[in-house]
Amino acid sequence: MSLEEPSTPELDTGETLEGVDYDALESLLGEYAIGRESHVNAEAFVVRPDEVQAALELLRDEAGFDHCSCVTAQEYEDRYESIYHLRKYDDPTQEVGVVVPTTKDDPVSESANEVYRTADWHEREAYDLVGIEYDDHPDLRRILLPETWQGHPLSLDYDQEQPQVVEFAEHANPLREDHAADAQSDTMFLNIGPHHPATHGVLHLKTTLDGETVADVESDIGYLHRCEEQICQNGTYRHQIMPYPDRWDYISAGILNEWAYARAAEDMADIDVPEYAQVIRTMSAEMCRIASHMLAVATFALDIYGDFTAIFMYAMRDREVMQNLLEDLTGQRLMFNYLRLGGVAWDLPEPREEFFEQTRDFLDELPGKLEEFHDMITSNEIFQLRCVNTGVLDPETAKSYGATGPVARGSGVDYDIRRDDPYGYYDELDWDVVTEDGCDNYSRVLVRMREVEESAKIIEQCVDLLEEWPEDERNIQSNVPRTLKPDADTEIYRSVEGAKGELGIYMRADGTDKPARFKIRSPCFSNLQTLPEMSQGEYIPDLIASLGSLDIVLGEVDR
Amino acid sequence: MTFTETISSLLPISGPIADFIGGAVASLLIISFLMSLVAVSGIWGKRKITAAFTDRIAVNRHGPFGLLIIVADAVRLLSKELIVPDGVDRPAWDLGPLVMTSSALLGFAVIPMGDLFGLNLQIADPQAGLAYVFATASIASVGLVMAGYSSNNKYSMLGGLRAVAQNLAYEIPLVVTGVSVVLFAGSLQLSEIVAAQGETLVSLGGVAIPSWYAFVNPFAFILFMIANLAEVGRNPFDVPEAPTEIVAGWQTEYSSVYFVLCYLSEFIHIFLGGAIIATIFLGGPAGPFLPGFVWMVIKILGVYLFTQWCRSAIPRVRIDQLIEIGWKGLLELSFANLVLTAVIVGLL
Repeated sequence: MSLEEPSTPELDTGETLEGVDYDALESLLGEYAIGRESHVNAEAFVVRPDEVQAALELLRDEAGFDHCSCVTAQEYEDRYESIYHLRKYDDPTQEVGVVVPTTKDDPVSESANEVYRTADWHEREAYDLVGIEYDDHPDLRRILLPETWQGHPLSLDYDQEQPQVVEFAEHANPLREDHAADAQSDTMFLNIGPHHPATHGVLHLKTTLDGETVADVESDIGYLHRCEEQICQNGTYRHQIMPYPDRWDYISAGILNEWAYARAAEDMADIDVPEYAQVIRTMSAEMCRIASHMLAVATFALDIYGDFTAIFMYAMRDREVMQNLLEDLTGQRLMFNYLRLGGVAWDLPEPREEFFEQTRDFLDELPGKLEEFHDMITSNEIFQLRCVNTGVLDPETAKSYGATGPVARGSGVDYDIRRDDPYGYYDELDWDVVTEDGCDNYSRVLVRMREVEESAKIIEQCVDLLEEWPEDERNIQSNVPRTLKPDADTEIYRSVEGAKGELGIYMRADGTDKPARFKIRSPCFSNLQTLPEMSQGEYIPDLIASLGSLDIVLGEVDR
Repeated sequence: MTFTETISSLLPISGPIADFIGGAVASLLIISFLMSLVAVSGIWGKRKITAAFTDRIAVNRHGPFGLLIIVADAVRLLSKELIVPDGVDRPAWDLGPLVMTSSALLGFAVIPMGDLFGLNLQIADPQAGLAYVFATASIASVGLVMAGYSSNNKYSMLGGLRAVAQNLAYEIPLVVTGVSVVLFAGSLQLSEIVAAQGETLVSLGGVAIPSWYAFVNPFAFILFMIANLAEVGRNPFDVPEAPTEIVAGWQTEYSSVYFVLCYLSEFIHIFLGGAIIATIFLGGPAGPFLPGFVWMVIKILGVYLFTQWCRSAIPRVRIDQLIEIGWKGLLELSFANLVLTAVIVGLL
């Protein structure tokens, strides 16, 4: 008996050291699994619509699939289908899909809300856009479109030309009832937004206040819904989709978003990307991440400090440098449209030395600037008074809501797609995933600030690689057919680590050059769901701080 | 001789009517001066100061150094439509900004603004000057409540409630700290307090350090500065307005001229705070070479600069923390300061 006896890691059912054993999962599900499909990213099991909860519960508790990454709904000629994309927080390469078909006449399926809290909003969106109804759902209302909308826009028989006539009376004062309730109750109803200095866009928080304490808060989203999924379904894979990802998370995270589409489409159509292009992608994506995190820190400081203060402008000043570098590289400041399937649009700007020098200058100055930020923000006592132990999100709740990115990592959930499900050039480079265990607003800000340092490390290594790259091997684009037509019924769900978390794309091909279904899994959408958990029982300023620390971009929430 | 007496003595008549005319003219002159001070430092100076703190340039296209922005802003603000929201409580809503502005202006009636060309620019010098200043400054709270309550807006309501809670919590430390100065000076009369600070405290290498109460009792000075920040509602204590939380607090629904009045009252309050600090801690208009009046304005603007600095660099505390700091921290400290001062003054 020795204490050093090597212990074999305890494996969940269906987990092997190499990955997922789908046969074991199938036997675990037993009679729940009435069929099996093969998607590009993982196998999927078909489950009867009234057995969804039982099947998902088995997969979560016995097989360890604790992350319901996305819920995709779509309509076929003969049926509706909801797909639950499940993963593990420990290892997101272990994936499984749960496909729930429902009939055309009675598209009712059991809600997964009991098992994964995140399913709440995802199913509401499925109901809103596709028209599937979910039994047992606590609050099945439209989420992106107005309550009065006629029809479900992503269903097959939806009439685009149909006028959406809504009588003005219906919108005259949708909140009159709430006002009336004020007189009798001890609580006060308060609309924060859609136009409010701290909602970072057009977000509407229906808040119920008890004095200054938040008794309840409900997010009302959809003000910035631009039918991005439908737009992408009407574009060809090769060129027409790539400009749109820039418009999801438009806070200079464009290349990160583009990469989500590029990765999904490249895996779907089996396109190689030259290594040189991967390095450029990695470098430019991390530049976007720095710019995005700088803005997140700046606006968070704005929410806490209360006015356009020094720290906001300092962060904007430093972000500007990054923005200029990206402009040199891509020709654009915000809507980069830089990635192409199989590579990038163009090589580094000439003269290359100047670009490298400017990048290195930024990286050299960055530690000093971050020191300044730490002086002004994180080490400020009033700032700590405001942020430490407010907006607490414990790791289990974060996982249940499908929180990812800095929000999850601020709650100590060690989850980063770049490391756990590597793509691009990340696994060749030396960097760390940042986590903080505080679970509060302070931790989330700290994670972002430390991630900037890690991104800088990545950029530095990429610059080193690019500088040394032999001139005749600078291949930025592989051969890609002019018209991409993936085989019919190819389905894929792929994600990358966007600025705000796991940004996933689900695509289904139907043999044409346009996707039959294009679904965006937005990290902000899932992260925003945690807001009530964080802010109930706290003060209004804490609610604002928590909202700021989530770093949502409404363009990505509403898509 | 006060400013009022100087003016009325120039009149061909004497008696109560002459006193009245003298007071009116004197007030008019002082108010005109304050207005132009607000115009320069509130509209132009604030922009420049904040820009300097936040690494920007600010206005520089309107005339020399962008100074003509004052004209542009005045025209803009005054020509905007006055929007009266549905359901406002009309007389209260109209009076709120007026009460706030006039309460701050009233305070200046007793401030010794110093000498200029041999004229003493203090309008009146009552025996209970300091008590009068604190009393008038506090009337602004009534205006805040009126504005917050009558606007028929929940953000205004919250802002009004916050303002009251804040003023209650910080006015007491402010006054108690002020009283500790009175103990030193032995008088509530502001001219007496200024005169008491004229003596030399110590002489360092030939430079005489005056016995300003900021030097005599720096602890009280710091307490007063902090309480004053809360009194004028600037970071870290700007919770009654708290943009990003409650939009603009009690002034959410005010536009056009009424907004100008709100804005004006805020700045005059800051100046009044600065004037009180200058009078009871910084020797009033005392200073070398320059006329006393100029020194007084410099000191007031110094305090103004301090508030702007805090606004640019310090986070805002939460409302419950603000109340806690006020009642559990500043109040205790200010009473401790008062008792200690009393003991020291008694022993000396």
